[in-house]
Amino acid sequence: MGVIEHAPIVHLPGIPDHVTYTWLVMIILTALAFAASRNVALVPRGVQNLMEVVLEQFLTLIDDVMGPEGRRYLPLIATLGLFIFGSNLIGIVPGTTGPTANLNTTAACALIVFVAYHAIGIKKQGLGHYLKHFMGPVPALAPLMVPIELISHLARPLSLTLRLFGNMFGGHILLAIIFFLMGLDGLIGWALSGSAAGAVVGGLGGLIMIVFTVGFLYPLKLLVALLQAFIFVMLTMLYIAGAIEEAEHSEHHSPPASGHH
Amino acid sequence: MRRTLMLMVLGVLGAPALAHAAEGAASGSWVGPFAVLAAGVGMAIAAGLCGLGQGRAVASAVDAMARQPGAAARIQTAMIIGLALIESLAIYVLVVAMILLFVQPIK
Repeated sequence: MGVIEHAPIVHLPGIPDHVTYTWLVMIILTALAFAASRNVALVPRGVQNLMEVVLEQFLTLIDDVMGPEGRRYLPLIATLGLFIFGSNLIGIVPGTTGPTANLNTTAACALIVFVAYHAIGIKKQGLGHYLKHFMGPVPALAPLMVPIELISHLARPLSLTLRLFGNMFGGHILLAIIFFLMGLDGLIGWALSGSAAGAVVGGLGGLIMIVFTVGFLYPLKLLVALLQAFIFVMLTMLYIAGAIEEAEHSEHHSPPASGHH
Repeated sequence: MRRTLMLMVLGVLGAPALAHAAEGAASGSWVGPFAVLAAGVGMAIAAGLCGLGQGRAVASAVDAMARQPGAAARIQTAMIIGLALIESLAIYVLVVAMILLFVQPIK
């Protein structure tokens, strides 16, 4: 790994690289929020317009998945979504260490989601009632259902962590190998080395690799960045919806709002 | 006939890999070369099965969208979520492969 990787562009001594870039993402998001909320106008323009569009999308998503009473969880969901999307994007820039390409950041986000949805469920329904739902639909099946439910609940933060980390780190490794193959140690070095065969094969191969990387791999990485942030946010909303929706079945028996399953 | 031919080709291509693994085993421990082999083959199987699963998901989604164009947006959302969840299974295998290759827990 040491052969293929190199140190990132901005390196603060004594601080792990992914923490440095987490701070960069935090600064960017705070600056964006600050710029959008100064001189709040009724008819939005500029940055305020952009952030209002983003928040509209989050609110639509929340209404679809959690119902209107889920809007109170917008700060958690939008922060997670914007932070993860920003971190994914920073990791795409060559020469940076994406925060989400490191297991620590993704594990932190997943643990926040885990603690949050259990806390929300317990606060909404009370501890005893919330724990009763681990026992399954029929109380007689409790000895079977409790281990299954426990394992599936413990698998959720694990899967959130590994999914985000694997997607980001896998793309990072792929790009590192492609740069290694076509860089000064590889095809382009061969092309510049002066031999005729090197110039033809190395030049042609290098050109093909560059076109492939810029035209296909980078757009794919952008798509995966957006998609993984969306999936993380969607799963968070589904877990929170699962934690709070039990109250509807037992207490109100009201028809669910449209789009709320 | 075609299947046996394909298996024979795979066997011929796979023989150098096994020879390399045996050579590594002769010089040191069995673990390193077989870890590499496990990472490669495991990832290949995971990618293939993930492709099958995602193909079925997309096929059903496109069928449903053709049947009810009005619901296309919601079907597409569900399809994207389903695809990402299926893909995460292949990503778990990728993480195990990277652990075998880079962390090398058993030398």
